[in-house]
Amino acid sequence: MDGTLLQQIPQFFVAGLTNGSIYALIALGFCMVQNATGIVNFAQGDFVMLGALMAVTLMQKLSVPVIPAFFGAVLFGALAGLALERGPLRAARNRDVLVLVMITVGVSIAVRGTGMLLWGKNVHSLPPLGSESPLILGTAAIVPQVLWIIGLSVGILGLLFFFYRHTLLGKAMRAAADNPYGAALVGISVKRVTALAFAMAGSLGALAGILITPLTSMSYSGGLMLGLKGFSAAILGGYGSAVGAVFGGYGLGLLESLGAGFISSAYKDAFAFIILLAVLFLRPAGLFGSERVRRL
Amino acid sequence: MGRIPFIPKAWKALGALAAVVCLLPLVVRNDYFFVLFNIMALNAVVVLGLNLLIGCAGQISLGHAAFFGLGAYSSAIVTTQLGWPLWAGLALALAVTALFGVCLAVPTLRLEGHYLVMATLGFNIIVSICLNQMEPLTGGPSGLAAIPALHLGPVAVDSDRRFFAFAWASFLILFAWMLNLEDSRIGRALKALHDKELTARTLGVPTHRYKVQVFTLSAVLAGFAGFSYAHYMTFISPSTFDIFYSVQVITMVVVGGPGSLWGGLAGTVFLTSLRELLHAVEDFQVLAYGLLLTLSLIYFPQGLLPAVIGLFKKFGQAAPASRHGAAIVKTLQGREARSHHRDEKGQPGSSSAPVLRVENLSVRFGGLQALAHVSFDVQPGEILAVIGPNGAGKTTVLNAISCLVRPTEGTVTVRGVPLTGRSAHEAAAAGVGRTFQAVQIFGHLTPLENMMVGYHLSARSGFCRAMIHTPQERREEETLRRRASALLEGTVLEPKAHEPTSTLSLYEQKLLEILRALALRPAVLLLDEPVGGCTPNESRALMDWIAAHRRADMGMVLVEHDMNVVMAYADRVVVLHHGRVIAQGPPAVIRKDPRVIEAYLGTKRRARPGRDRREET
Repeated sequence: MDGTLLQQIPQFFVAGLTNGSIYALIALGFCMVQNATGIVNFAQGDFVMLGALMAVTLMQKLSVPVIPAFFGAVLFGALAGLALERGPLRAARNRDVLVLVMITVGVSIAVRGTGMLLWGKNVHSLPPLGSESPLILGTAAIVPQVLWIIGLSVGILGLLFFFYRHTLLGKAMRAAADNPYGAALVGISVKRVTALAFAMAGSLGALAGILITPLTSMSYSGGLMLGLKGFSAAILGGYGSAVGAVFGGYGLGLLESLGAGFISSAYKDAFAFIILLAVLFLRPAGLFGSERVRRL
Repeated sequence: MGRIPFIPKAWKALGALAAVVCLLPLVVRNDYFFVLFNIMALNAVVVLGLNLLIGCAGQISLGHAAFFGLGAYSSAIVTTQLGWPLWAGLALALAVTALFGVCLAVPTLRLEGHYLVMATLGFNIIVSICLNQMEPLTGGPSGLAAIPALHLGPVAVDSDRRFFAFAWASFLILFAWMLNLEDSRIGRALKALHDKELTARTLGVPTHRYKVQVFTLSAVLAGFAGFSYAHYMTFISPSTFDIFYSVQVITMVVVGGPGSLWGGLAGTVFLTSLRELLHAVEDFQVLAYGLLLTLSLIYFPQGLLPAVIGLFKKFGQAAPASRHGAAIVKTLQGREARSHHRDEKGQPGSSSAPVLRVENLSVRFGGLQALAHVSFDVQPGEILAVIGPNGAGKTTVLNAISCLVRPTEGTVTVRGVPLTGRSAHEAAAAGVGRTFQAVQIFGHLTPLENMMVGYHLSARSGFCRAMIHTPQERREEETLRRRASALLEGTVLEPKAHEPTSTLSLYEQKLLEILRALALRPAVLLLDEPVGGCTPNESRALMDWIAAHRRADMGMVLVEHDMNVVMAYADRVVVLHHGRVIAQGPPAVIRKDPRVIEAYLGTKRRARPGRDRREET
């Protein structure tokens, strides 16, 4: 192996952690919906797209300052999540899990179609947070946006951890995820908790979109790949496990970045899905999941 | 009608469809429409396979575009770059899709339903990326051109009209095959496993193998469509085979009606035409598909075609009158008729070898020892009751015998054949028949069809023969039907044999479940609370009926809470408490056994709460 490639390893790590942060946020959104309802929400990726493009509109069309635009777009993601739960999923006559999952696929396609009509087929970008000049750290060049992404994600993940462990509402959500009937018996409104889970999943997706757009830009269809990768991360960590989602996100980011660097950058996008298939075939419970996956 | 070989039951509708297809070229003058019709036929082939998968096996694939693409590319590559003949290209296309289908299906179909969605989705993306990146082989994003056009022998299929004939003829043949498959032993087994997989297994249906076979079949159909597409268009590029195509075909199935092959065809015709209509406003296409998929799933989960047909059927259908009162009387009569039967050969033969031998059976769920060193025998012709307080492990015994639960220790032997390490369908083949505590009837099938699933193991035709409806397969089918009707004869179910199972009372469902288990001609019949939930009259009628069905070569294991039933009908009783056998013997002895009385009622000294009854839930 030639020296230049080895020298690039720190750079791969930085890139891996950056993408990993994004995947972790998206994966956590999948995990929340899974725990609240037991369904895979294929529209999670479209929350990412909606958040990013909403931020673009707020900042560039409506000239809203950065911080309000940021929060506005996250709030929009939350509303989108809420709308999905309140609308199609609650209206469905057939409560079969597979039907509900397919409804989220349909919503995802519809949202993408709407996104194309609203924002066109072009790629949009956002100005980075902080300056554009990279910091040089050893052999790695780091754009400040990367630090923002990693810092904000870790901060949010920490907050969520605190929320789930130490607040009454967080505990209520965990209780409802564990056993909805039991939760209802002690006076938790499972409906509200479910709605909250969708809103949180939506805002996490939107946050991920706003953070990554300055680096990679975003189009109406950009949510698909990010969503599916976040999903692969959730599977890698163990579907439904919050800790697993975070570790799966960072793990997938690193594997992908190293794979792209050392094996082939042309197949960068395929690694996530090869990992997905490998996990499903070899250890469907994932790294942190319990063996609750029911084998028929 | 059912005995005609080769031709599906719905041959009239199929003939009408064929006639319409034949008339189209005479009526339609504009060649542009033929491109549309041709794409429609190819979509219809993909949808056909997908519909079989979704409707019969209850599995959803979001990766059929990948199989479509694999079929197209594998044939295109070898015919353009290696100069292989067309038939070799076709063979390769089918082989490649079948291989990938099996590799994907074997591991994922062991998991719950939505894992297949994910695995196929991931597979689709990988295939898309590979088609784009493997430039030397696939031509990359710009695609492969100059693919040789289709020819059948010396006849070149090079015009839109000629391809129309080829594509629709192929579709009609495949459609007929799939209709045949649906109306066969395999099709019934698929519907049964979609409905209640565990139950299907206990009737001897190898569910995993069938699911893999159906998935592979549907992948191969998509591969065939891909092959035809490549040699029709003579140019292919990766964008045709991305996820959006997978979503499109899923939408066709869902909108048309999952589970109804005709519905799938309707969905294909509708949505393929819609795409052409939306061609002018192409930007709306994605949104339209998304909305259609969402709305039809929300409001018409059965699909549009069944919804429309259902609307028509609503007129002029009176609710069937309850014949329940007469039912019991009739069963009782059935019992009289057969009671001499029992006297002849129904007595337990103590000299012969046991039909079931359970030795040292232990089952552990994590920290809970559900069964510990349980041993007992069942003699031919005998009714053995297993009783015990709640949580004693009675149902676990039955689950271990029918191989639904793997014992941690010990052996189960049926007619001298050890069942260690077997799966439930093999246990059924070895002679274990069973019913469930919560009655398990296949709701999508009629009572007669439920019975025919019970006879699954007495026929042998596989997928191929079922698709073609060979004369041999039809004879087999006729035998199954005759035997199933014969077993229903004289019971309350006879007049209801072709009605939906939702019209059956609990008593009738329980009767049907037992009859279905008897169809296996089991060596041992496991009855899990057969009269639970029945009225005293029904309970007596059902137990008399069961007792009348004793056979000299079959033992029964009866798990029951009703002590009156146990004492009246059992030849011998095994008492379980906390997973251990605490007593074994004739009912009269068991009734007086102090340990049994203690387990049920507690003794004065030990009756304090929280001690003896800790496992009661």
